[in-house]
Amino acid sequence: MRLMKTSESYIFPYVDIVPQLIANSVIAGAIYALIALGFNLIYGTTKFFNLAHGAVAACGAYTVFAILKIFALPVNVVVTCVIGAVVAGSIGYGLDKFVYLPLRKRKASNMVLMVASLGAFTAIQAVIAILFTSQFQALESSGGVSGSVEVYGAIITHTQVVIIACGLAIMAVLGLVAKYTLFGKAVSAIKDDEEVARMVGIDTNKIIGRVFFIGSAIAGVAGILIGFDTGIEPTMGMNLLLKGTIASIIGGVGSLYGGFLGAFVLGFAENFGIWKISGEWKDAIAFVVLIIFLLIRPEGIVKK
Amino acid sequence: MNTTAKAIIWVVVLGVVAWAGYAMLGAPAEAPVEETVATSTVPVAVEPLKIGFIAPLSGDGASYGEMKRNVVMLAVEEINAAGGVNGRPLEVIYEDGKCSGKDATSAAQKLVNVDKVHFILGGFCSGESLAAIPVAEAGQVLMLSTGSSSPDLTGKSRFFVRDYPSDATQGEVLAKAAAAKGWKKVAMIQEQLDYPLGIFKAFSASFEALGGTVVKEEFPTSATDFRSMLTKLKAAKPDALFLNAQTPASGERVIKQLVDLKWKPKMLVNEAFVGDRATVEKYKDILEGALAAEFAVDPANTKFAALDQAYKAKFGVDMPFKSYGQTVYDGVYMAKEGLMAVGDDGAKLADWFRTVKDWQGASGSITIKPDGDRESGYSGEVVKGGKVEMMAATTATSTPQ
Repeated sequence: MRLMKTSESYIFPYVDIVPQLIANSVIAGAIYALIALGFNLIYGTTKFFNLAHGAVAACGAYTVFAILKIFALPVNVVVTCVIGAVVAGSIGYGLDKFVYLPLRKRKASNMVLMVASLGAFTAIQAVIAILFTSQFQALESSGGVSGSVEVYGAIITHTQVVIIACGLAIMAVLGLVAKYTLFGKAVSAIKDDEEVARMVGIDTNKIIGRVFFIGSAIAGVAGILIGFDTGIEPTMGMNLLLKGTIASIIGGVGSLYGGFLGAFVLGFAENFGIWKISGEWKDAIAFVVLIIFLLIRPEGIVKK
Repeated sequence: MNTTAKAIIWVVVLGVVAWAGYAMLGAPAEAPVEETVATSTVPVAVEPLKIGFIAPLSGDGASYGEMKRNVVMLAVEEINAAGGVNGRPLEVIYEDGKCSGKDATSAAQKLVNVDKVHFILGGFCSGESLAAIPVAEAGQVLMLSTGSSSPDLTGKSRFFVRDYPSDATQGEVLAKAAAAKGWKKVAMIQEQLDYPLGIFKAFSASFEALGGTVVKEEFPTSATDFRSMLTKLKAAKPDALFLNAQTPASGERVIKQLVDLKWKPKMLVNEAFVGDRATVEKYKDILEGALAAEFAVDPANTKFAALDQAYKAKFGVDMPFKSYGQTVYDGVYMAKEGLMAVGDDGAKLADWFRTVKDWQGASGSITIKPDGDRESGYSGEVVKGGKVEMMAATTATSTPQ
């Protein structure tokens, strides 16, 4: 632990550090939010922890990596990202169709589904490592030089602006879909009670399949953006999943806005937490926050 | 829970265990776990002489481990084509230490207890060597590291020797160079592993003795977000930033966020980072003028030049991490000589290696001291326009220990 004082800024000793810490918190929060949004969407409808979610995010990133770097196809970056999201979505849909759906039909418990998703996670990660090697790769080619904006002395890169914007936009779209479309209503019916939803004529398996596609596509978007921001490696999924899950639990697991809120609480706690203590405690701070919530408010910030 | 569900759980658990085991042993396409190298010139009836190998074949350190495996394959092929060790071909059993103490220990355990080798080429990362030494010691197996440079390994065990110099000299060279620049305060971002920690200890001891101070932030290998640590270090207003990561991969993650934060400090980098010339070239703007210290290569050395050419011819790429490649090559040849001289016996090999004096290899003249360390030092370097150049000799060379 080391306290670092600056000599010049005597009156406002931390004026040079606080804006950047806020920016760092927002960036971290937005990244966690992207993972938590898809994770919560799937959890809300299926009520099991889909651990494969992290690996699906890596799939999106590696699809973009394959298109841009390995085959070096002259495709627009935005189009590539859409392809990456669709691939991730399809993998999520495939997982539901070929692994989770058969298990659900056999009335497997959520524990079984979670263990199956852990298997899927490990398998997907291994396949990525075989195809692309387990080395760290950067999605950006320009040596990390991208444009950035400055807000009150805090630097935020364009990639990070896109991450924050995507987080907000995806949350807004999901909110609107949930409220105003038939699909959204079907999803919330399943959330409340799957049996009853089926009785009133909702094809629950079809809806859950679609939820998997959408949730996984969001994970893919998250993976891609994180890839552009910090780089990719096959094992990136675990760290993302861990933080996304903590964000979901803090915010209220299964709740759309809760996960979003939880992500930012986590981001701020982590980045401001290491202001006065050493940075190696960052992960420890995340888990301390998780334990506090589990003990004091296990239902999360937003009650369902 | 009904029986069907139980059965499913078992199947899934078995599947997970199988996959985890598979993942642990590394991707076969990239890293064959066990590979035998024997050539047709040797009669099949002769039993090969087994030696062990530990290096990271997966994970962030895989780029070193792959290079090491390639150089070992190359050297062993040459040795076997020339008649092997007293007529017996060498057979290498490759194990993945993953640059982690835990994995290196299980690798050593397998090599010592299952494969019954008496000599191990490894570990590569300092953490691998530190963790595996007790296993080798218990089995009276000699470990020869060609890349571990942590000062903590000096005199660690009778069963450990290395033909790569200790970081004590690396830290010292960098501290002197930094002090010569007139820097008083150096901020360090350090990965929480044995190798960077060894450099930190050596660097801060020398730098503080020269009147400087070091402020430090540490990060675990799994970390991907260094922004707030860098923000803190920047606020400490240091004269320079020391990037002290275990691998170029984690170093690159840090440096990318440094660029993102638009902080352009004067820099110091460790050997593991500067050894990856492609990454240095990629971040040449921010690294302009950065100080480094390496156990340098001598292109005029004929053995080194031959190795460099042979590597390119066999694997189709320029040999990466040349300063590590040369000691791997020498390590295999020294092992061959040792095995010929005293036979396949860990204790005898341990004594034999300590008699090595002025042995001429690709990495120059090698002398192994009684404490198991190689006698020689690092030289200071500076990054100019994406290229790594030797520093002026006055402040740059360490005294051989």
